[in-house]
Amino acid sequence: MRLYLVLTIASLKMYFRNRQAIFWALFFPMLIMLIFGLLNFDQFSPPDVGFVDNARNEASTSFRNAVDDGEDPLLDLKIDDEAFLRDELSDGDIDSLIIIPAGFGEADGISTVQAVFDSRKPQEQGITETVTRDVLDSLFLEIADVPDEFRVESRFEIEPTFIEGQGEGFRGFLVPGIAAMAIMQAGIFGVVFSLIRFKTGGVLRRLQATPIGPSHFLIGQMSTRLIVTLLQTYVLIVVGMLALGVSMGNGTVLNWIDLSIMALFGGALFTVLGLAISGWAKTEDVAAPVANIVTLPMMFLSGIFFPIEVFPDWLGNISQFFPLTYLADGFREITVNGASITTLGPELLGLGIWTVVAFAIATRVFRWE
Amino acid sequence: MTETSLSEKASETGEPIISVTGLTKRYDDLTAVDDISFSVQRGEVFGMLGPNGAGKTTTIEILEGMRRADSGTAVVGGIDVHRHPKDVKKIIGVQLQSTAFFDYLSVSETIKLYGELYGEKVDIGAILEEVELTDRGKAYFKQLSGGQKQRLSIAVALVNRPQVLFLDEPTTALDPQARRHMWELIQRIRATGTTIMLTTHYMEEAEELCDRVAIMDKGKIVQMDAPNALVEQLLKTGFTKTREVKLANLEDVFINLTGRSLRED
Repeated sequence: MRLYLVLTIASLKMYFRNRQAIFWALFFPMLIMLIFGLLNFDQFSPPDVGFVDNARNEASTSFRNAVDDGEDPLLDLKIDDEAFLRDELSDGDIDSLIIIPAGFGEADGISTVQAVFDSRKPQEQGITETVTRDVLDSLFLEIADVPDEFRVESRFEIEPTFIEGQGEGFRGFLVPGIAAMAIMQAGIFGVVFSLIRFKTGGVLRRLQATPIGPSHFLIGQMSTRLIVTLLQTYVLIVVGMLALGVSMGNGTVLNWIDLSIMALFGGALFTVLGLAISGWAKTEDVAAPVANIVTLPMMFLSGIFFPIEVFPDWLGNISQFFPLTYLADGFREITVNGASITTLGPELLGLGIWTVVAFAIATRVFRWE
Repeated sequence: MTETSLSEKASETGEPIISVTGLTKRYDDLTAVDDISFSVQRGEVFGMLGPNGAGKTTTIEILEGMRRADSGTAVVGGIDVHRHPKDVKKIIGVQLQSTAFFDYLSVSETIKLYGELYGEKVDIGAILEEVELTDRGKAYFKQLSGGQKQRLSIAVALVNRPQVLFLDEPTTALDPQARRHMWELIQRIRATGTTIMLTTHYMEEAEELCDRVAIMDKGKIVQMDAPNALVEQLLKTGFTKTREVKLANLEDVFINLTGRSLRED
């Protein structure tokens, strides 16, 4: 036991003295997170708008078609009943809500379109309002063959209301994803490159000449990586909270503990995966492309920068089983929705199974020299 | 060391500290070590000479418990290496041909860590002084010169106060000053009663340090005796050097001009 402690402390010292490792594990993901978070890439796609159609007539259909023709929508409409969409709005899953009244555009009187906005999303509110008004204008001209002196306000009216949504938007999506990605990168690349150096330089061989042998040393290295994993998670989430204004679940200590458990599951998996790669590869030249082949697809397909839902179904069906997807989803459930770890069985199971697979590969392919 | 002191030692201790019988190691179709037998007495400095690929390193690594022989027996300090490699590792010190330590641990930390691996509390100051690294204790491994790395390697090999010290080419790639310092260090260690088995390419080194040498070629020991005895035997066959014998050589000139002190800081 004392030996493990000594080896872990030595490994930690080595780790934190290597500035390059710190940069890649902490500052690089932080930089990526801030760049993407501050640019807020979400604004380049149309807002998600709930659509309640109480009229179901010709006018409401042409309104809908004008807004979202299915190919190049002005607003991404989500059609459902009002109660459900109001929940979605307050959960932050949609950006605003448009309610078309019964008898829309039929009677002579004014049709009042209700619009509900998330006050935390002024940008989406602006777009939704402008688009709605424009479409109503043209709709008015289309259906009402009337002289110009009649103004659109005499037939259509928008009645805005505001609620404060709970969602975190793109930033809330991004921050836990980046934390997961950082764990993957540090786990795989950190382990692969240091271990290959130990291997080719003869460090492991020298350990083999001692009665203890190198496997104990590897356990010390693993413990170090898990400590680094926790550190990465805390630092990245806290920076996300401070710089990007995302919240941390429901803010309880239990939430942080759940986050730590999820981080350790992910850290263990990616460290073992790194061990498998470096144990098998003889030199850096062989290990580097393999490490990239493993990490790059996950970086883009595991829902780190954009949700898996944007991919075609077949791709989404594959990438939902990626190790990084499990970790990112787990983190997100905890940080965005304040989910308890007990409800995250599927994610933990997914990570666990991958860890077992990676461990089996590592023990089979490992070579000391 | 003279031959008389060696034979006295051998006779008073009796039981050899290393004894090897019929040792063989094959790699695919290459027989790296081919049925060799020898023994080393306690307190002796035993050298293995031979060209590259002669099987020196393979032999020494089998004795260190790092490789398994295909047949034959090797006993170190009364322990069968094949059956109890871990127990042998506890009582020996090892310097491998190319050894690296951890880039981001200091010299002192490295020695301390290796002490822990043997469960030994090491007097780091004393070991640093022994290998002349006292002023480099805080330096990281990667900041050391070649000679300093080699001396650290010996320091690490001494943490468990080994009965036998194995040195695989301890002076290869060192400059003449560093080599001479290494020789002095090896002689100091030998004076503490530690048995030393080393490999080398340098005949001068073998003559300077070794009580007995085994000359290996193609996996076999072709000759084994004290260096002087080997030279005597050769002279008896009527061998004469074609060149006249000089009283000094180029290395003496080099050392005379550049001094004996280490050049690494």
